[in-house]
Amino acid sequence: MATDLAPPPTKAASKSGHRRPGVGLRAVFGRYRWLYLMLLPGIVYFALFKYLPMYGVTIAFQDFLPFLGYSGSPWVGFKHFEELFAGPDFGRLMFNTLFLALLHMLIVFPAPIVVALLLNELRINILKRSVQSLVYIPHFLSWTIVAALTYVLFAADFGVLSGWIRDFLGDTSKIDYMAQEDWFRPLIILQQLWKLTGWGTIIYLAALAGVDPQLYEAARMDGAGRFKQLWHVTLPAIRPTIVVMAILASGNLLDSGFEQIWLMTTSLNRSVADVFDTYVYYSGITQGAISYSTAVGLFKGVAGVILIFGSNWLAKRLGQRGLF
Amino acid sequence: MLTLTAALTASACSGGGDAPQTDPNTITVMAKLFGTAPDPNGEMQQAVEKFLGKKLKMNWVPNAEYTDKLNVTFASGNLPQVMVVDPHLPGFVKAAEAGAFWDLTSKLDKYPNLKPADQRTALNSSINGKIYGLYRMRPSLRSAMIIRKDWLDKLGLKLPETVDDLYTIAKAFAEKDPDGNGKKDTYGLIIPKWPGNYASASPYDVLETWFGAPNGWGERNGKLVPGFDTPEFLEANKFLKKMVSEGLVNPDFATLDSAKWNEPFHQGKGGMIIDVNIRSRQVLDLFREDDPKNYGDKVAMVGNLKRSDGQKFSYPFTGYADVLAISRQSVPTEQDLDNVLKTLDKLATKEGQVLLQNGIEGRNFKVEGDTASLINETDPKVEIVQKDVDNAFIQLSTKGTNDFGGLAYVRTPSGEPYKEMLKLQKQLMDEDLKTAVFNPALPVVSPTAVSRGAQIDTIIPDARIKFLSGELTEEQLKGEIKRWYDSGGTQVATEVNDLVSKLGKTN
Repeated sequence: MATDLAPPPTKAASKSGHRRPGVGLRAVFGRYRWLYLMLLPGIVYFALFKYLPMYGVTIAFQDFLPFLGYSGSPWVGFKHFEELFAGPDFGRLMFNTLFLALLHMLIVFPAPIVVALLLNELRINILKRSVQSLVYIPHFLSWTIVAALTYVLFAADFGVLSGWIRDFLGDTSKIDYMAQEDWFRPLIILQQLWKLTGWGTIIYLAALAGVDPQLYEAARMDGAGRFKQLWHVTLPAIRPTIVVMAILASGNLLDSGFEQIWLMTTSLNRSVADVFDTYVYYSGITQGAISYSTAVGLFKGVAGVILIFGSNWLAKRLGQRGLF
Repeated sequence: MLTLTAALTASACSGGGDAPQTDPNTITVMAKLFGTAPDPNGEMQQAVEKFLGKKLKMNWVPNAEYTDKLNVTFASGNLPQVMVVDPHLPGFVKAAEAGAFWDLTSKLDKYPNLKPADQRTALNSSINGKIYGLYRMRPSLRSAMIIRKDWLDKLGLKLPETVDDLYTIAKAFAEKDPDGNGKKDTYGLIIPKWPGNYASASPYDVLETWFGAPNGWGERNGKLVPGFDTPEFLEANKFLKKMVSEGLVNPDFATLDSAKWNEPFHQGKGGMIIDVNIRSRQVLDLFREDDPKNYGDKVAMVGNLKRSDGQKFSYPFTGYADVLAISRQSVPTEQDLDNVLKTLDKLATKEGQVLLQNGIEGRNFKVEGDTASLINETDPKVEIVQKDVDNAFIQLSTKGTNDFGGLAYVRTPSGEPYKEMLKLQKQLMDEDLKTAVFNPALPVVSPTAVSRGAQIDTIIPDARIKFLSGELTEEQLKGEIKRWYDSGGTQVATEVNDLVSKLGKTN
């Protein structure tokens, strides 16, 4: 980033006027010293708080005991990973995590695009703005509140919505939506749609605002209707944004959203609710299996990196600009 | 995940180095907190400091997040000198066995007030026979059933004695309109989402014991087997499943927040609770707020119930609630340990226990005979003293509780119904103790159970709830039990048997 900026007019440079840029590393540092100095706090921050802690992942290869510390705890190689991969939970965790991620990519990810396109077609500005504001309010509520709302709406006993559904279907049996395996994923996806869609819309609306109106005029001259305009002008215009968002999302594919899932887990739906995130918390913090849960977390991290590189590569292959 | 490792790294860096300087005149303690934390300069803390002649540095941690905080603290390497801890928590077992806590087994005899009052309980709170902490004494038989007395009276029913009576009453509560509003909107038994695992004093565990299943582990054909691998376990759960399917149990039993357990009882939605006997006084409190005169007519209590054939098996608790463990990192030498133990010994005297459990004599209570009654209840400053005692300092007491005595004075509640209930509590405890089914595997901790906990601990309680709600058939429930064995349970069972037999030899 620093190299994009014009070099600051240092005294030496301004005096001699046309001194050639330095060749050696030292000269470069000297020339851009203030820029590099400004970079320093950032480097220190990342080194201290992002890279140094990564040393901690070594405990995934130890039987870590805090009392003995890093140096004293015995090394066990890949034992914890073997335990994870061979263990009875791995398949279930992998499936649950990926399945939720897939649902997220198919349903939650496109939702803001659709809403943004719909809002873009609205010609009454005040309506457009108020809808936009309304749909992003849920973003500011915590998952705890969302889970509590869901409980109030769907509880078997007094749930408002479950009551309506019962009345509507003339059904007398009480379905406990909060406790059934079959209803876990729909509820999770509904919550995500409700909470995340409006916020995601903002970025796409910004991208849409940047589309040149002349393109629409030209399309109209060529006889394109509303739908054709959408298909041939609007969508291609925001395609790069969608691709970048998709790549970023793929990095978080295995992040199932700890808080949301943890709050929605009960004994009855645990078999579909257990994902890597909640499992790491459960085994690490609640059960105190620090090394094991670090191994799980490390695996998840590595898989996330592979996914983000993979989707970046794929985007480039498909002729799009990647993230890097 | 990165945040977890970050926390660990940061702390391990500091923990590896020199241990914190120990000041013989200060004692640091981490303990559970209910409600708001006491002011370090408050009356109560000053009274304790004055009594000990030492500065007290307390780290109060809210009860709801105590386990999480404990595990993080173990990992931090920056431990307080004394910690309130469940001695069988996997994180603690690992830390203790690695040498992070003092083994007190042979050290307590020197201190007149720390010598375990009950050898069996001391053993139960140990890790495979090694005592890593002073147990906090609690009455062992606290299981009971609390019933809406007014509902029983309205329907002309008698107090239950057997599990069949339980069924009859639950059915009547659900179907015969006990609240008289003309609607069928009540049920019999109230069960919350249970936070603990198998054999953690849940209503399910108590009911299974009533049917004759072991309490946790029990001997069958000369070997110890887990309680859920017995026909009695299945029998009890079939009984409960029938009640669930007939609508005699609250339909949200898998999701009802356990902190709201009293609400449906108080609001007249359900009429029975199986839990600790002191819950009876909690619900009395609720009814007294509505009606200070007749609240005593609303709540009845019975002890453990008999099986259909008349045989009685009562569910005892562990006899202790957590232990006070002493860190070796912040109490490095034998001399420091002696200093800390002397302090704890002083707290374990009659005077210390009264201070921790009753409060400051003449300030918030006065002694009447051998009981304590509250005084100055309306003075806001005294109210704070009382709250600091109840919410916090009582956690440091090791010799009984002010419910049933121990060394401190029994607190006499105001109001006849409370006194009646207290009397009944004592009477039921003594009676049920005769038929108590103890868990022989309580003192032992299987290494596999510690390392594989994350993978196997939820199998049984989850399967049990699924079976009760009709999502699993009997065959599938048995399949889940087999899955427990296959996921490491077989090894756990072998280890438990080995450890218990070893323990038997040394005693």
